[in-house]
Amino acid sequence: MRVVIPDEFKIRFRYPARALGLLGAVLMIVSIFLPWAYGHDALDDMTFWGAPSPLQLFFVVLPVLLGLLLAIPLVGKQRLGALARMVAWNTTAKTAALASLVVVVIATASIAIELGGLVNVDPGAWVALLGGLVAAGSTPFLPDSPEPTLDRLKSPAWVQILGIVAVMAAALFLAAQALSYNDAGSFITFAALLVGLVLVLRQFGVFDWLRVAGRSNNRVLVLSAFVVAFLFPFTQDGKDANMSIAAQVLIFASAALGLNIVVGLAGLLDLGYIAFLGAGAFTAAVLSESAYSHVNWHPPFIVTVIIAGTVSSVLGLIIGAPTLRVSGDYLAIVTLGFGEIFRLTMINLDGNDGPYVTNGSNGISNIPDLNFFGFDFGKAHTILGVDIGRFANYYWLMLLVIGLVILVFTNLNHSRIGRGWVAIREDELAAEAMGVNTFALKLLAFAGGAFLAGVAGAVKAHHDVSVTPDQYVFLESAFLLAAVVLGGMGTVMGVLIGATILKLLPEKLRFFSDYRLLLFGLLLVVMMRFRPEGMIAEERRQLEFHAEDEELAEEVQEELALYHDHLHPERGSFEL
Amino acid sequence: MELFFQQLINGLSLGALYALIAVGYTVVYGIVQLINFAHGEIFMIGAFGAFATWTIMGRPTGSPVATSLLFILPVMLIGGVVASVAVAVAMERFAYRPLRNAPRLAPLISAIGVSVFLQELVRLFFGRIPGMPDAKSDLAFPSISGISGASVQMGGVLIRASAIFTIGALVLCTVFLWIFVDRTKTGRAMVATSQDADTARLMGINVDRVIVSAFAVGAVLAAVAGVAQGLTVGNIGFRMGFLAGLKAFTAAVLGGIGNIYGAVVGGLVLGVAEALASNYLGTTAWKDVWAFILLILVLVFRPQGLLGAKVVDRA
Repeated sequence: MRVVIPDEFKIRFRYPARALGLLGAVLMIVSIFLPWAYGHDALDDMTFWGAPSPLQLFFVVLPVLLGLLLAIPLVGKQRLGALARMVAWNTTAKTAALASLVVVVIATASIAIELGGLVNVDPGAWVALLGGLVAAGSTPFLPDSPEPTLDRLKSPAWVQILGIVAVMAAALFLAAQALSYNDAGSFITFAALLVGLVLVLRQFGVFDWLRVAGRSNNRVLVLSAFVVAFLFPFTQDGKDANMSIAAQVLIFASAALGLNIVVGLAGLLDLGYIAFLGAGAFTAAVLSESAYSHVNWHPPFIVTVIIAGTVSSVLGLIIGAPTLRVSGDYLAIVTLGFGEIFRLTMINLDGNDGPYVTNGSNGISNIPDLNFFGFDFGKAHTILGVDIGRFANYYWLMLLVIGLVILVFTNLNHSRIGRGWVAIREDELAAEAMGVNTFALKLLAFAGGAFLAGVAGAVKAHHDVSVTPDQYVFLESAFLLAAVVLGGMGTVMGVLIGATILKLLPEKLRFFSDYRLLLFGLLLVVMMRFRPEGMIAEERRQLEFHAEDEELAEEVQEELALYHDHLHPERGSFEL
Repeated sequence: MELFFQQLINGLSLGALYALIAVGYTVVYGIVQLINFAHGEIFMIGAFGAFATWTIMGRPTGSPVATSLLFILPVMLIGGVVASVAVAVAMERFAYRPLRNAPRLAPLISAIGVSVFLQELVRLFFGRIPGMPDAKSDLAFPSISGISGASVQMGGVLIRASAIFTIGALVLCTVFLWIFVDRTKTGRAMVATSQDADTARLMGINVDRVIVSAFAVGAVLAAVAGVAQGLTVGNIGFRMGFLAGLKAFTAAVLGGIGNIYGAVVGGLVLGVAEALASNYLGTTAWKDVWAFILLILVLVFRPQGLLGAKVVDRA
């Protein structure tokens, strides 16, 4: 599969390769001043001479980076000093060249598809394509860079804080930009561009640096992330379309984070998790002032939330207490059966087959919007001159909920309880022998995860306006599980990204909505086959999935050593 | 009393269906300790394979009873079996074999993926096969003269021909399964592998082949069940595998997972229990609930199942 270029070739051709790579970069940079498309309707109108469209301007970042990566080493090792060894110049350039080519190909294909044929692709795109091909074809002949030194990860505290804030601001800007594209072509092109950029920056060391910076300035990282998330509605200028998606993403993500405690930390496969979300939603719906609820007690929402969480966790205890003793695969099927029991029960509590509680398969609709001390969630408010609509209100509320979930998650993860869960996950018998109370801890994971889902469900009921049993089918549990698996079991960041991808992509790429589930099934299989630890892997988890990989074990060890040395220089070198 | 016997017959016919599917779960679990979550889809594909065969044959309807039973139905069964076995073998090869030494969570998640994938594959692409109708909604299963709609009256009890077919198929399959497991080399290799895969390998058994044959055996029975379901209910759809698979798994656990005859017993017990419960405990709307509650009760009080196969705890 992989074509390996012999080292002697790389030595012999290193000068022509660099020259051609630079030529490719220049061609791509020049191309944005030429028209790419014949018609106005493709992407964001790339028909002008000398006036690049926003998408073209974003694109040019990649070739500019490529050019810099190729040009700066020409200065010479001596003059670069320490910088020479701090960046993997050539290797990063290879990634940048490949990423540029992929983005150009996608853009060209979108133009051809949206305008109906390659005839509509104008010279600019061809120049860019040529540049991309030249760059991607020549850079592999550059010699590989040596592993960059770890010095690049060290920096003064104020630089770290500024860097974190800058990265967060950039993330907000790029997210808002990505969401502003409503046609599939522009969205895919921009998404490919972002992925390429992330890959280049990762190789550049930006994310390693960010991780080190984040560990020593944890509060700044968390705080700035929340401020950025809080500011997001202001970038949408009162438009509800994206805020609705964002609120859904947060609801989905908070449930996925709850599931992550059960699956990712404790290693218990729960296939009926959606039932806990449903239990919370139905509890909130029944206690709401909806005309379809025959319960005449309407407590304030804060009480409802606690009741919803409690109902869910009690259900978790009821299902968990008997079944957690039989370990392993049985649990998966029992929880699956429980999910079905829940759904069928909700359908049957319609007054005919059982007492009237849930209005059967029609569910409870017309659930009123929340109202906190006169702040009506259903109405738009104007804050600092920006309209904040209904979905933005729920978005903020969910941000609060998800903050709570993350707080619980990370604190548990780093506590005695969290270590107990990990021990159970890795080897239950050994954990028990070491004195871990496996049953109690598993039950806690189950009930705790259920509580968080119940809370999320209570908000979801008001956000969705109606609650019906068919929103809580097995497939939804599978989606939650997929978010956890895709992102990376046991990580917060991974699950957030996984949830965002799974909710956002179907909304933005409606043309493939019919194939959504097909691809989803395939994704699960392929993920398990090639990257079972998820996109963002927890180090320990990665080792579990690749037990025989000695190299990986060493890598993880080195990384641990690096953090240790950086955080506690006074304690001397790290040894295992 | 008549009602009781009527429900008993209904339950046995339903249970025979569960039993046919449950064998597939139990055989695979016994050998690779994997809950083949996508086995319900193999059952569904068996039904669609039979349907496709019938369509290719030119949709014969209203043929004489003898032609129907001696020619059309057997050919449909073969078509269903071929489709099921092909899909099951491919599934084992591409989704499960690469994960054989992975942590236990991995193949289970992969199985969920396969299950969703196969459902969607049938929903989206069955209609694109030349000559096949669109499968996005339920399809009417062909009626076979002599089975569809026919019934026998015994006292006050009505026995439908499809029930006789299902129960008969279960009896035949069990006999064949017994011969296969007890009398053939492959069958005994399967038993040996399920007892101790490593030792079996040392004795010269090709474990990979045994695993494939376990998937194939399960698929054969699932395909028969698919046809039986089509004949009983009268229509098939891409979603039919989910609930049936879940119930069949319950049956397998009920009988003692890993024990082939346990699956048969478990299926019959579950079917009868479900039929009786829906009659005596609340309305029929609750019957699936009872089935799953039974599953939970069995796991709590008798996790080794009715026939008590030795269950090794492999958490």
